[in-house]
Amino acid sequence: MVEFDAARLIMRVAASQDRDAFAQLFEHYAPRIKAMMMRRGASRDRAEDLAQETLIRLWRKAAQYDPERAAASAWVYAIARNVSVDEMRREGRATAWIEEDGMLEEEDNDEPESLLLVAEREAQVRSSMVALPDEQLRVIRLSFFDGLAHGEIASLLGIPLGTVKSRIRLALQRLRDRVGELK
Amino acid sequence: MTDAIAHHPTEETLAAFASGTLDEARGLIVSMHLSLCAACSRKVGGYEAIGGELLEQATPVSLEPGALRNVLRLIDKNSAAPDKMPEEPLGRYQLGPWRWVGPGVRQRSVSVPEVSNIKVFMLKAAPGTKLPHHKHTGYEWTCVLEGAFEHQFGRYGPGDFDEADETMEHKPTVCDGDPCICIVALKGNIVLQSRLGRIIQPLLRL
Repeated sequence: MVEFDAARLIMRVAASQDRDAFAQLFEHYAPRIKAMMMRRGASRDRAEDLAQETLIRLWRKAAQYDPERAAASAWVYAIARNVSVDEMRREGRATAWIEEDGMLEEEDNDEPESLLLVAEREAQVRSSMVALPDEQLRVIRLSFFDGLAHGEIASLLGIPLGTVKSRIRLALQRLRDRVGELK
Repeated sequence: MTDAIAHHPTEETLAAFASGTLDEARGLIVSMHLSLCAACSRKVGGYEAIGGELLEQATPVSLEPGALRNVLRLIDKNSAAPDKMPEEPLGRYQLGPWRWVGPGVRQRSVSVPEVSNIKVFMLKAAPGTKLPHHKHTGYEWTCVLEGAFEHQFGRYGPGDFDEADETMEHKPTVCDGDPCICIVALKGNIVLQSRLGRIIQPLLRL
């Protein structure tokens, strides 16, 4: 049994429009993207369409994928996110991210260097995420997977906006530190 | 000019961009910055890796029977060879003609649909132009494309990103050299601070 290697499959689609490789990518990602679209507020039917649309874009953009620059999962996520942003655009829904405060608090100039996550670090990201405290993983999931604005997360969890922001900031910092450690 | 980019979006803004929770107008300004800034693109890539991992962990929801067949049929129908080039951030928008909006200043529209009083436009200002002292009723996000301006927080050249909100007052001056071209997302209105400014404001089309 050959292990699922999304990066290689994407490159096969790019090189020879390989339908068998595409079918494997479809089988793995389309149901996960459908779940993500439902979490982002699409009905089951609409999420089905959006998952299919994401895979069509994946087919078209396969030649743009650079395994040196991004893990396959990160690249697929970015395509799905763009499809979800376009969907909100079609609905004329402006997401309400950013509330009155907090925007300009601290410029973060003392942040460590960029995350520099490439394909080889995928496993490191995974293990770092497993190590996050539940409350941090939860806000990260609500933000990056469910696509909720920070204010929406605050009202959903019944916690202050500042707490949401600090949890996200802490989580991102931990991920960065751990991934940095493992360099 | 080869100045390094000195002003970047906050981490919070980059994370919001990566998660897809910025509105279209601000997302476009951030995209313009990312197209010029490798360091911020790498950070966004890091956040997308987090999103990718969450996608891997997601509980799958089955697609309808025949979904793959349907997708392959649509791919065949639009046949088209795969795209080789990434889409330019501005590629999907139409740019209006440059229009005079005040002494030394021209503006062109960018066809981002107006949602909740948010506008996107480009500004071109002649070297040495002093823009009127102003503040905002909402946010004003700017990415410099050519030339440079400066205000109390520093000098902003090509690629520099400026996030201003209603707590900030501005009195930007365009630097000598080339005209300064910026792309701006503006929510709410610009409020001129001088009495003369308030008198002429209705004449300006900002």
